[in-house]
Amino acid sequence: MNELEARGLVKQYEMGRSNLVVLHDCDLLIPRGSFTAIMGKSGSGKSTLLHILGALDVPQDGQVFFDGQPIFAPPAQRRHTTGIGDVLSPVERRRIRLRRTAFGFVFQFYHLLPELNVLENVLLARMIGASAWRWLSARAEARRDALAILQRVGLEQRLRHRPAELSGGERQRVAIARALVHRPRVLFADEPTGNLDAEAGANIMQLLHALHREGQTIVMVTHDAQIAQYADRVLRLEHGRLIAPRRGEDATARTTLGPTPPIST
Amino acid sequence: MYKLFLTFRYLRKQLIVHFAIAAVTLCVALVLVQRSVMGGWVEQVKQRARGLLGDVIVDNQSYAGFPLYEEFIGRISAWPEIEQATPVLYTYGLVRISSPGFEMTRPVSVVGIRYGEVIRVNAFEKGLFYEAYYPGTTHLGPQRQPMLGLDPNAAPVPSPMGGLVRPPALPEPYQSALETARRRHQERFGRPLDAPNAVDGPDNTFLREHGLAIIPGEYAFSETDAPELAGEPWPGLIFGRDIVATRQSDGRYKRRFVRGRLATVTLWATSIGGAVDPVPIKQAFRYADDSRTGVYEIDSETVYCDFDLLQGLMGMGPADRIDPQTEQVVGRTPPRCSQIQIKLRPGLDRAAVAALTERLARTYHGLLDDPSIRLDPREQSLVVGVTAVTWEQSQAHIIGPVERERMMVTILFGIMSLVAVALILCILYMVVLQKTRDIGIVKAIGGSSAGVAAIFLLYGAAVGVVGGVLGCALGVLTVVSLNDIQEFLIRLSPALRVWDQSVYSFDSIPSEVNPVELLVILACAVATSMAGSLGAALRAGMMQPVEAIRYE
Repeated sequence: MNELEARGLVKQYEMGRSNLVVLHDCDLLIPRGSFTAIMGKSGSGKSTLLHILGALDVPQDGQVFFDGQPIFAPPAQRRHTTGIGDVLSPVERRRIRLRRTAFGFVFQFYHLLPELNVLENVLLARMIGASAWRWLSARAEARRDALAILQRVGLEQRLRHRPAELSGGERQRVAIARALVHRPRVLFADEPTGNLDAEAGANIMQLLHALHREGQTIVMVTHDAQIAQYADRVLRLEHGRLIAPRRGEDATARTTLGPTPPIST
Repeated sequence: MYKLFLTFRYLRKQLIVHFAIAAVTLCVALVLVQRSVMGGWVEQVKQRARGLLGDVIVDNQSYAGFPLYEEFIGRISAWPEIEQATPVLYTYGLVRISSPGFEMTRPVSVVGIRYGEVIRVNAFEKGLFYEAYYPGTTHLGPQRQPMLGLDPNAAPVPSPMGGLVRPPALPEPYQSALETARRRHQERFGRPLDAPNAVDGPDNTFLREHGLAIIPGEYAFSETDAPELAGEPWPGLIFGRDIVATRQSDGRYKRRFVRGRLATVTLWATSIGGAVDPVPIKQAFRYADDSRTGVYEIDSETVYCDFDLLQGLMGMGPADRIDPQTEQVVGRTPPRCSQIQIKLRPGLDRAAVAALTERLARTYHGLLDDPSIRLDPREQSLVVGVTAVTWEQSQAHIIGPVERERMMVTILFGIMSLVAVALILCILYMVVLQKTRDIGIVKAIGGSSAGVAAIFLLYGAAVGVVGGVLGCALGVLTVVSLNDIQEFLIRLSPALRVWDQSVYSFDSIPSEVNPVELLVILACAVATSMAGSLGAALRAGMMQPVEAIRYE
């Protein structure tokens, strides 16, 4: 059973007079419960792919399906800028709903709101879709969930601390807690250890690995082959396409642990 | 709800926003103080312009006046809407008044009033000086000069000039009023008044409260020991206060003449056709009181005497009608007045007053249809020009410009307040730039474009509410303390006086906080702050989450 399916993704950026093609006819299947690592050089388009899969960015062509439903409008109707009126578009509403309920994001630079403390950062992700009429009851439930997930990531003693008062590893654990608090079906992690020292990075990866063992679907982007070893599938992005892992690479050794992904040609 | 949560968190944590709040606070306070001062000014001008007028004024704007006022008043007096109507006569003359070592002659507007009626039609009585201290003593009939004498029965008191003097006594009817005050003092304090007649006695405050204080310099002293009413009796003349007294910069008046002084008014009679008789008419009066309407143009140029006396002097009273061919008396010419002031019963709304005003005009013109009334063509022409207007209509030339000035100043201050809007726009735009990554994060975790825009709109609204409430508080505080602030500034340096009572004719800086205006100003503050945040909100709302997250 596939959680996500991408077909023919194209993404290019205008760079002056030329276009930089980042993704070129890229196909991908993310099976439910898999831990997929996408590797590639810096600037190869890994993060862009992750953002498109997670409905944060819009491709010029191609489509991503979640639960068999497309998450982008047909290419001809696709807009690459957002307007206030987009909230009225059913496709945009669905993307917002997916980000709110089905997807969770962990970024390399944590991206926590500096004005909020640890608990509030996590609560915000849980409460963002709550109706104003059910705010109080929803907040009590959200707080329970937030406390549980913060305990899970070992930050129950740091609830009132602001991001600036935490170490890099702790901040990333808050970011993971925030990404998980609404129990997403897919967790996207963009270089989750890229800004951490080796020990803190290992801790984070153990946490992700544990989540994966509990059945969490994870898609991770990394350039670090050591980190990629935690995944059960490793894909390489080169020249805008996902290619088959090369035999003999450490990172590819574990791809046998999961189903073989379709590789774009 | 997360939008409110983030809004308030940003409001508390973003120092730069406090500048926007301060700008809104100052603008709101500024506009509120301006509206209150100008509003108070307009109200005072209205009240004072109203002070000498009835609710409805009937006149023909002619120096020759108009006839049939008695018949008209007789007809309308029974109407349930009419409380009182009184004729008034306007003319011009010269007034001369003197006191030892000082003499003054100046042109004045001479107004003939029936004192007993006019005080029931308008607030004329409230502006009288001596009447306020000695109720019931002001009238326009023949009167002599009240002279203070020394009370032969009183114990001597220390004189301000040294030694002991007997305190002054008052002539009747002032003496009986003083007796009442003595009795009340005894009842209230259980002891008699100390040196009750002393000019600066210790109980003078109590006497002033009862309108009975002896005001230094306001009365002439009798040359004999006994108080008396001295001199020949002459009709009373009420002066505009600024003729007989000089307004000090602290708002108090320094009188140049004392009550009862002899004054002469020189008039020129006018025929029904408007021709002025070159032979002047002189009439002696006694200074009976002085009146303050608060409008300098009135108070510095107007004297008031008895209507019937002035009518007689001006040749506008009833007289035999002579046939020019036969030189026989063929009837009586009707007396004329310049104006009829009418007091309406309370409770009539604007529409009812308008309808009544039209009915009054119709009723007056209808008098010509009465077969018992016979007027010659010149008299009829005076009747034709008679109109009835409300007091607001008659004073529109005074109130209108002040209202327009108030509006203009409000617009000017409103334009100045746009600076605050621009400031909010800049500050919130900076906040949006600063918070670009946060916007991306909020969108990445499920915030919608509208939701993110709403955060910044709410942010603007919150700046408006906080700044508006603080501004209202500051404005109200300033308005209620405006006169105290001026007093404080004057104590620091007299050059810091901003409100000169001698110029503006008001005792204090007029100020009146209108609760409705306060709410409107608050609403405008919120609306303009939101308008200022609109650009920032749109930018935030339209950001792609991924672009916002990557923003450096």
